[in-house]
Formats: sequence, C-alpha cells, structure tokens
Amino acid sequence: MSFTDKILCSKSHEYLLDNGDNTFTVGLTDYAIEQLGDIVFLELPEAGQEFKKGDTFATIESVKAASEIYLPISGKIIEVNEGLTEAPETLNEDCYENGWLVKIEATGDESEQADLMEYEDYKEELE
Amino acid sequence: MTKETYLHDKHIQLKAKMVDFAGWSMPVQYTSIIEEHKTVRENVGLFDVSHMGEVFVSGKDSVEFLNKIVPQNISKLNYEKAVYCQLPNTKGGLIDDLIIYKLGINNYLIICNASRIDEDLNWMVRNKRGFDVKIDNQSHNYSLLAVQGPKAVLLMQKMGLNTNQESFTIKAAKIAGIKVLISRTGYTGEDGFEILVENEYSEFLWDKILEEGEEFGIKPIGLGARDTLRLEAALHLYGNDLDENTTPVEAGLSWSIPKDKKDDYNGKDVIMNQLQNGVEKRLVGLKMLDKSIARHGYDVYFNGEKIGIITSGAPSPTLGENIALAYVKNIENICTGTIVQVMIREKLHNAEVVKRPFVAKRNRIKL
Repeated sequence: MSFTDKILCSKSHEYLLDNGDNTFTVGLTDYAIEQLGDIVFLELPEAGQEFKKGDTFATIESVKAASEIYLPISGKIIEVNEGLTEAPETLNEDCYENGWLVKIEATGDESEQADLMEYEDYKEELE
Repeated sequence: MTKETYLHDKHIQLKAKMVDFAGWSMPVQYTSIIEEHKTVRENVGLFDVSHMGEVFVSGKDSVEFLNKIVPQNISKLNYEKAVYCQLPNTKGGLIDDLIIYKLGINNYLIICNASRIDEDLNWMVRNKRGFDVKIDNQSHNYSLLAVQGPKAVLLMQKMGLNTNQESFTIKAAKIAGIKVLISRTGYTGEDGFEILVENEYSEFLWDKILEEGEEFGIKPIGLGARDTLRLEAALHLYGNDLDENTTPVEAGLSWSIPKDKKDDYNGKDVIMNQLQNGVEKRLVGLKMLDKSIARHGYDVYFNGEKIGIITSGAPSPTLGENIALAYVKNIENICTGTIVQVMIREKLHNAEVVKRPFVAKRNRIKL
C-alpha cells in the first residue's frame, strides 16, 4: 500500500494519516505543494498545543506568498517535524514520508472525519 | 474574460503554471521560481511580457504634450533614446510609471504597465486638449519578449544583433529575419534586451530565441521570478510600491526628475515642493534579521510605534535573505543600519534598513 492509499484529504489540501491509538499524522498533499511552488519558510506549532478542527495550526510560505494550514480534525500536537523548519525545501521533494508536519492525538470524535476524502476521490474533486 | 498573449499556447506546451495578472492569463512559473531566478542572474532568461501596453504618440505637439504629462524633460530626449518616466496626477500621485522612447521627430513610443493601460489612455486623452497630437494604443498588435541576463548579449550577438547598442536606447533591427524594435532595457537588474514584435511573428521568435539560446543555458522565465528579480534590483512594481497616493519623491525616484525643467507638468508644484522641503513618508529597503518574510501590507514599527507599511517583500534567491520595500515616516533616526520591526502574524520581527538596490545592477555588459 502506498502512502496516499492510507490518507484522508481535506478540501483545503491537508492530509490525515491514522496511526492507530487515536493518533494521526498531518501534512499537506502533493497537489498543495505543487501549487505553492518552492517552499521557503514553515512555522509549526509546539508539542502540547491544542487546536479545534479547522483552526490554523501552521503557516507555510512559498516564494510568492504565505498560506495558512488548517487542522483537519481537533487534536493536541504530540510531535512536530522539527527538521522541516530548517529545511522547508524537503516538502518540494517529499511531503509524505519525510515531509509530514505534525503528529496529533485526536480530541474530537470520529464524525469529524466525515468531510475528509480518500486520496483518489480528492484527486478527482480537483479535476 | 481573461486575455491571452499570442504566446499562450507556448506556455501551455512548456507546462507553465498560469495565473491571472491584470486580466491576463500569464505564466507565473515553468519549473521553479528560484531556479528561474538563478537562470537570469547567471545565464539568460526569456520572458513573455506581451501584456504590457504600447502607446504611440505622434503629431506636431508631441513634445509639448509629453512634457505636460511627465516630470521628465522630453525636449532633451534624443533620437533612439529611452527615458524612465512617471505619469503623475495633478497632486503628484502616480497614475503609472513608464518608459518613453523617441522613435523619430514627433514620434514616441510609451511602454506602460498592463494593469494601467486604460487609466493611462484616459488620462492622456483628458490632457490632450489644445495639443495637436495623436494617441494610438497599439497594445493589441504587439508582443513583447524580454531577453535578460549576463549572457543575453552573447545570445543577441549570435542572432546577428549589433550589441554595441547602449543601455536605454531603442533601434529597429532584424532578428531571425523578423523586423523588430529592440531596446536595451529590462526589469531584472541584469543586462538585457526587450524585443517588440508584431503578434504574428512572436511564436516563431520565441522558439528561435529558445533554440539559439540553448548553448547559453536559456530558460523561459515566469512572472514569479520576474518579481523576485525586480525586487532585488529595488525596481518598483506599480500597484505595490507605486499608486495614486504616492509621489515619485516619496518613492525614491527623485534621481529621475530634472530640477531645471521649465515646462509646467501635472503635479509639478507638489513634486517641486517635496524636492525642496522633504516628504512625510519615504521608501526604504529592509532586510529581515530572522527567517521570517515580510509581505505586502504588513505593518512596520519603530520604538513600539507604527511607522509604515511593507509594499513588496519576498525571499531573495541571490542573497539567501528575505528582503522588502516599505514606506516609513520620514523621521531622522531611520537611516541605513537602523533596526525596525515588522508585524508578522501578530509577532514583531527585526529588520534592518539597508541600501537599495539589494543586489547591484548590471545595466550593460560590453563584449
């Protein structure tokens, strides 16, 4: 199974990967990264911070502009991909295995995932 | 309806990412803004800037008319020379910035911003009363290609052009058998040429330049890199750094304004007064002291007080630092080396006032 077979995607181009134990990995889809172009700056939250579904939890900047990143489900940050802030260009090469943004512990219930799409459907939606 | 240049199909074939710019569908990047930026700084790049406006001014009162609408002295503009100009309103605020070329006696070409063609034309028509002058908007008939970078001169020489041509001059020439007007100007801070060609030959010329330029490492360059290139050179972008509430003196363009011009022109009293007595706000260059990026519209602070606003900001691929242009209150203790703060997502980030341009210009490379 490839990475994208396992993720759910939001309309605002974040992905959610279920790691079991009520924990999830959150990142941006390859489509989002391609649209942004060269990534030059990333501002990530700190472990322990809590966000509601839809809250801005991070900011990403390409050469052209700054964009907000929204949390696809409510959760508490348990791990941050620290290396990314030093090397944000990693995201242009790989936004999945190495370029994930944060890991969270879900604080809401599963119904929050209702509006998320499987990767194939998300891709279709884009066309 | 979004307008397309005659090179639109070429951009699609090259898999450019297209964006709307001033009502035109334009390539923002082909591969990567940073890569394209470096291509222009190190080798040579080709830009489609056909969205820009071309307005011809002719008639026996051409000089008097142009002298009324720009602060620059058109009486002193010689045959085949170009001059960077502004189009002020009666309060000195800028309707546009432009380049005026003298093509012949009572025959001038104005190249203006795509986003301002309509405003410029309206303003010119309003100002032409009493002048025997013809204003002919030919924007829809011409394509404009820019060849920019240190190797532009080698490429143009290979294509048969006389590269002794001086900076800020325009000449009729033939490239690949096509009649063009070629100007040694640009918007990148690099040496380069801008080629005005009739629409029907633009695709042929585009392909030919890319083909002949291959040995010099040529690449097509989008508007994204055009923006970072011009920002490093501290060249103003209309709509960001210039608008109808900003005078050329405030914008740091006093160098372009003759102090001895006799003719009256729109906004002259305001501009002359500012030249003599100073301005309340002025343009400065900033360099961020951390990794944050100042963007258009962010506030600038000094000693806890809001003193200005960022008008352009981006990473500088050449410097590896983040740079910006800002308008700040003209207070004495803000000078080169002063540390100010930029409010970014509710936090203040230090920035240093630095000299403009951020990257030294290379206007003409002699062979």
